[in-house]
Amino acid sequence: MKKNEVFTYLVGGRAGEGVKKAGTVAMSIFTRMGRASFEMDDYPSLIRGGHNFSVVSTAADTITSHYMEADLMVLHDERSYLEHQSHVKPTGVVVYNSDEVGEGARGIGIPMKSEAKKYPPNPELRMGVGSVTVLAAAIGMPVNQAEEIIKKEYPRDREKNADYARAIYELIPSEVLGKFHLEKGTHQSSALTGNQAAALGAYSAGLDMYFAYPMTPSTSILHFLAAHMSDLQVVAIHPENEIAVANMAVGAAFAGAKTMVGSSGGGLALMEETYSLAGMVEAPVVFVLSSRSGPSTGVPTYTDQGDLEFAVNQGHGEFPRIVVAPGSVEEAYYKAAELLLLVWRFQTPGTLVLDRHLSESSHTVNIDPEKAVWADFISHDSGEYRRYEVTETGISPLLFPPSSELIKWNSYEHDEFGITSDKAEKIVAMHDKRKKKLSKLHEYLKTIKTVNVYNPGHPVIMTYGSTTMSVLEALRAGDIDATVVQPVYLRPFPVWEFTGYDRAVVVEQSSTGQFATLLKEKAQVDSLVIAKYDGRPFDPQNLALAIKEAV
Amino acid sequence: MELRTYAENTWCPGCGNFGILNGVKRAAEMLSEKGIGTERLMMSAGIGCHGKIFDYLRISGLYSIHGRSMATVEGMKFANPDLKVITFVGDGDAYGEGLAHVLFAAKRNADITVVVHDNKVYGLTTGQFTPTSTKGFKGGSTPEGSVEDPLNPLALLLEAGGTFVARTYSGKIPHVADTLVRAVEHEGFSLVEVLQPCVTYNDTYRLYNEKVKLLEETPDKLGEAIDTARIQDPLYIGVFYEVKKPVYHRELYGERNPAKDSLSREERVRRIRNLLSVR
Repeated sequence: MKKNEVFTYLVGGRAGEGVKKAGTVAMSIFTRMGRASFEMDDYPSLIRGGHNFSVVSTAADTITSHYMEADLMVLHDERSYLEHQSHVKPTGVVVYNSDEVGEGARGIGIPMKSEAKKYPPNPELRMGVGSVTVLAAAIGMPVNQAEEIIKKEYPRDREKNADYARAIYELIPSEVLGKFHLEKGTHQSSALTGNQAAALGAYSAGLDMYFAYPMTPSTSILHFLAAHMSDLQVVAIHPENEIAVANMAVGAAFAGAKTMVGSSGGGLALMEETYSLAGMVEAPVVFVLSSRSGPSTGVPTYTDQGDLEFAVNQGHGEFPRIVVAPGSVEEAYYKAAELLLLVWRFQTPGTLVLDRHLSESSHTVNIDPEKAVWADFISHDSGEYRRYEVTETGISPLLFPPSSELIKWNSYEHDEFGITSDKAEKIVAMHDKRKKKLSKLHEYLKTIKTVNVYNPGHPVIMTYGSTTMSVLEALRAGDIDATVVQPVYLRPFPVWEFTGYDRAVVVEQSSTGQFATLLKEKAQVDSLVIAKYDGRPFDPQNLALAIKEAV
Repeated sequence: MELRTYAENTWCPGCGNFGILNGVKRAAEMLSEKGIGTERLMMSAGIGCHGKIFDYLRISGLYSIHGRSMATVEGMKFANPDLKVITFVGDGDAYGEGLAHVLFAAKRNADITVVVHDNKVYGLTTGQFTPTSTKGFKGGSTPEGSVEDPLNPLALLLEAGGTFVARTYSGKIPHVADTLVRAVEHEGFSLVEVLQPCVTYNDTYRLYNEKVKLLEETPDKLGEAIDTARIQDPLYIGVFYEVKKPVYHRELYGERNPAKDSLSREERVRRIRNLLSVR
């Protein structure tokens, strides 16, 4: 294979057949080979049945998206076969479960299910083991090595899984064995989802407590941190609803804990009143918004960027808001840390914008925990304490209980001590104080990287969030020379980085072009929009065609 | 012990809230003598006439939003379990806007104290019916009289798992203070309902002075406590139920104190490296 040539493995079947797990194991195989890899799972909102697929693309050097055209497909049932087999590469291989896919099918039939029935209980769960075995064989692993991987990755019922893997391996025709030669890469990386990266990034900056009510696609942050309560010494709390989530986080911040909350659009809508509370009491809290295809309940397990305007306009009233949209899994790590720092330094709420694609897709990343920032803050030294002391910067030092000083955080407009006031001059003083924080925030943002610019000097594409990954891969796929401009900060919007741009091709996952509207409003950029809003992330090859047409 | 602030008191003359404020001050002094000083006694308040108590007390805390201050103090407590937390809420706060929070705080036995200023009317928004108003209550939103029956919050919270449930009356300041002290000292969820007349919109002084009766003995069975809470005449004041049960934060993460025991940057880097290397 050519350098950086992409190999794609796709496994499809019903929920409950280990489809996603097979994708994860494939990721881990490629990652251990030092290759860059990207996994996207597609699943409907159900627990058993339906149609799931997991697609993993890998390259020796760089990759930032999955591809829908696959080299190797393993399809468990008729529905998966009908859905995917036409998207196999001309040089590719389709392996299907011959117990369910009928006569006349193209490709290689293996009786995966009847073979699995020899290893009860739960033969369905073993289907995924079979799919991984096919991959191992196709990329040239000898049967013993394949067995070892199965034993390591499927520890429950280990021996039966290994026996099943061996049986499947023996049924694979010789022309498939070692058909794909994958070069080893040089990456020393681990595979993380965007949600895991955001959780770990915030933790690296000092996160103590995470509060959340389950809502796809944010839920895996809660699961991840709850699973690591002991080894990371972090606390994950799942209260009665999102309103409790947000208010507990504010209360915990009052007591000095670094807190974060997370949900999807509906949950953030419920938290919105508390977002303003955080603005008023000057509580440092990070809100993670992981969007699904909306509006309302929408399409819970599919992706979209239709919450952009909602994300940048959280909360009623006037106060500084910080809205950050990382454009890759790795960036989710560092930006979650940076946002925790900013909300603590400026004592105001911030939103980390993710979406289904970034939250749940898995990417090989090379994270250096030393490189993430630490969320330090300005604290009160000594003397009489005034919670809302008016300072040069608008930032009042923090003090936490227990303390003999009086610490009052107040949702009503207040004086410097935090006592309620409706006096005209107090109202003005506190508005001015919060405004000063905003101007200091602007100054600070000018000293850090707020916009990524890739490959300058060519026709300009503007994009943000998860779509950045799709665009960068599309440029590689289509061999296109283009500049990619990706604002990471959406509010305050880094207008100072946009001088010299007056037109751009905008790529976003929204039906109304909200990002293009934001660019026009903030940076006077005219756009030609490539939009997608069917819940599926862009396929790099299709996107490359669209970009070529537009550029 | 100075518990006053410079804030101007704007409650109506004769408001039941004065009795509660004085009871709280007395309780704070008693608690301080027992080793729970105001350095670690935290408060929050909801929104309404009752909430102004936040400005009138030299006690640290967070003036929350309507219905949510139960969650606010839970957050404080979970972050730093060394703190003792009280939230002052109205009947609209606790039983209307924030009913879910108060029920779940009881259900999980969060170690917080909820003090409900129950005047059975929305005072600050000029006299509408609340979840505890009697049927037929005439207010701005129900000029012909409320058509809803009132909730029985004490019975409800006992059923939800409240481990300390009490009622007191703002007209009996020493009783308010004693009850508050017991509630704060109770490890676990404690609810103190304070019968509080609103001189402007729901003046119940005469009614309560006639009907209120001291509950001599705390029932030791939950069913008996619920039965006692259902009695409307006389209106018992006292502790209806008190039981020791494991508290939420300790069940979830033992003796850890998330705010105080927060790990250093170096320690976090080490743990992340470990975690990433096994993946």
